Order: sequence, then structure tokens, then C-alpha cells
Amino acid sequence: MARQLSIVLTAVMLLGSILQADDTKKRVSDFTLEDYNGAKHALTDYKTSKAIVLMFISTQCPVSNGYNGGMVDLYKDYSSKGVAFIGINSNSQENVEVLRNHSKEHGFEFTVLKDWNNVVADKLEASVTPEIYVLNSKLEVLYHGRIDDSQRGNRVASKDLRAALDRILAGKAVEVPETKAFGCSIKRVQ
Amino acid sequence: MAKVISWRTVLFVLLVGTACRGTNDRGGWTERVQDQSLAKPAISVTPIDQPGLKRLIRERNGKILLLNIWATWCAPCVAEFPDLVKLSQTYNTAEVEVVAISADYADEVDSKIIPFLKKMNVPFRVYVAQFEHQEDFINAVNRSWSGALPVLLIYDSHGKERFFHVGQQSYNDFKKEVDKIKGGL
Repeated sequence: MARQLSIVLTAVMLLGSILQADDTKKRVSDFTLEDYNGAKHALTDYKTSKAIVLMFISTQCPVSNGYNGGMVDLYKDYSSKGVAFIGINSNSQENVEVLRNHSKEHGFEFTVLKDWNNVVADKLEASVTPEIYVLNSKLEVLYHGRIDDSQRGNRVASKDLRAALDRILAGKAVEVPETKAFGCSIKRVQ
Repeated sequence: MAKVISWRTVLFVLLVGTACRGTNDRGGWTERVQDQSLAKPAISVTPIDQPGLKRLIRERNGKILLLNIWATWCAPCVAEFPDLVKLSQTYNTAEVEVVAISADYADEVDSKIIPFLKKMNVPFRVYVAQFEHQEDFINAVNRSWSGALPVLLIYDSHGKERFFHVGQQSYNDFKKEVDKIKGGL
């Protein structure tokens, strides 16, 4: 009898934890990184924004570079609506000088941070460039994945990041909160 | 007349025989024959879709499959490719088969993929992914794959996935995993 009760209790606890997992959004703990000019930026500095878009990017990855113009357009279209954009470079072989030149060359007006030792990439389990995380003011992940479904503009059928931001700004739940980002692996420190 | 033709024929056969033996003695003829027998077929890259990928994995014929997903734009993929070529030459092809699937666009076969494969002197089969959506390809390969390249999967001789790795590896890494499966570990 005690054994049966134990099995039932275990099942109830398991079910409870599954429901909680479904119900709970992944939350990102605060971090501080420096931009390519050495200025410190904490994630919580952006908490007053309507959404925070973290973009893991690379200066060398052709797929990431294929989205340079797209990221500039996203910033133009959504920063005025209260969305913060932060580029994060976690590739071990790309230094701040390279980041600075790359950002200027491509007209990035958003902040680009250097993630030395891929601390933030590890924290978020980011593995690709480009890879996107959209957070709310509680630093909960509302969207994770790709910018869209093709780095060739004329083949894009699904503008996933824009769709997510539009839903968030409208106060609605993101319809597709998780997609697969496709691109270069983040070159982590050995 | 018949006599004349007969002698001409005999003379022709003798001349050809002498010419062939002469060339053979110098080694040139033999080399040419060997060249022909060892001549590699022109590198071709064919599209692979979801059913094709399933077939490739399922139809093992007793061979272990080492499947590499790569792209010409992916620096770590390009860096590890010579090690993949070396690995394919390490094992008997009846035991271990190396196959690569390019994640480049299908319209880049002639402009990017084949020139790279020629440079690498690739001796194994190479496909180009032809899926309607990138995410379909990612999920067909492995649902836990994030989408980052390169990816290496090893299937045993029954088509069961035994190894999955994202990121650049070396010849020794490849070999270690194949040997584990070959050794029944």
C-alpha cells in the first residue's frame, strides 16, 4: 500500500514539474559586458525597453554577414517603438578592433558587446551566428531562433523575428516562440 | 585475293602486337591502362531531400556511415575537410562509408561546391541539401541540432545514430568515434 502511494505521489510530482516547465518561460540572469569602446553594459540597463533583442553575430560568418543589412533595417524599424537591440560577439578569434571596424563598415547603430570567453553564449546556450533571443522586461525569453528563414532576401517566406516583435508590441503571445537558427557555430575558447 | 588479304591481316596483327609490346616494355602503355582503370569519375553533387536522407541512413548494407554536414562558407567545415578525406581513405569502403551533405544552395553546385571538392580531391559521395525550409533539413538530420555547422553524425551498420557532434573536429576525433563503433563499444 505504501509502495502504491509512493508511486502515485511520484507521478503527481512529475506531472506537476512538467506543467510548471511548460508554464515557465526561460529567464536570463543579468550579465555585464563591454562594448568595443570599453563601456560596460548590463542587461538590466535595458529593462525599461518593451523588448530586448539579443543578436549573437559574427564579423566573419557569411550567414551572419548576410543579415547585416537586415539587422540595420530591424533596428531602424523597431528601436523607435521601444525595442532595444544588442549585438553580442562571442567568437574567440574576433577582437574588439575587428568588431569596431565591422560595426562602422555596416552602419550598426545598435550596441555591439564583446563576450570574452563566451560566458554569455554559454549562459544562454547560444551556438550559432546569427542567433536571436528576445526578452521582456523580466528578462524572460519570448522568442529564440532565427531572424528569418533565408539569408537570401528574395527567398524569405517567414519573417520570424519581425513577427515575434509585432506580437510582443501588440501585447500578444508570440505565435512561434522557438525556431532553429541556421549558420556558423560560435567559435568558443578551447 | 584471299591470300593477299590474309597476309595483310597477319602483317597488321604482327605490327600492332609489336607496337603494343614495345609500348608496354617502356611502361607507358601499362601506365595508360592503369590510369584508365584508376581514373576517377567526374565529381558530381546531387540533391538530397528528406526521403533520400532517410534512405541513405537506412540502407547501410553492413557499412558504418560517417555523415558530415558542411558548407563552403563555413570556415571550420572547410578546415576539417582534409581530415575527412584522410579518414575516408583509412578504412575499407565496404566497412565505413563517408558521405557529405552541403548546406550551400543547390544553385551553387557548379560555382562553389564542385570547385571546392576538386581542390580537396574528394573521393566520397557528396550531396547538396534540397529541402523546402532550412528548418526541415535541420530537423531531418537531428531534432536536437541547433543549426550550427559543421555537424558530424555516425550511424552504425544498422543505421542507428551512434554519434552526433556540432563543431570542428580532427582526423583523430573522427577515427576514435568510428573505431569505437567498429569495436562494438
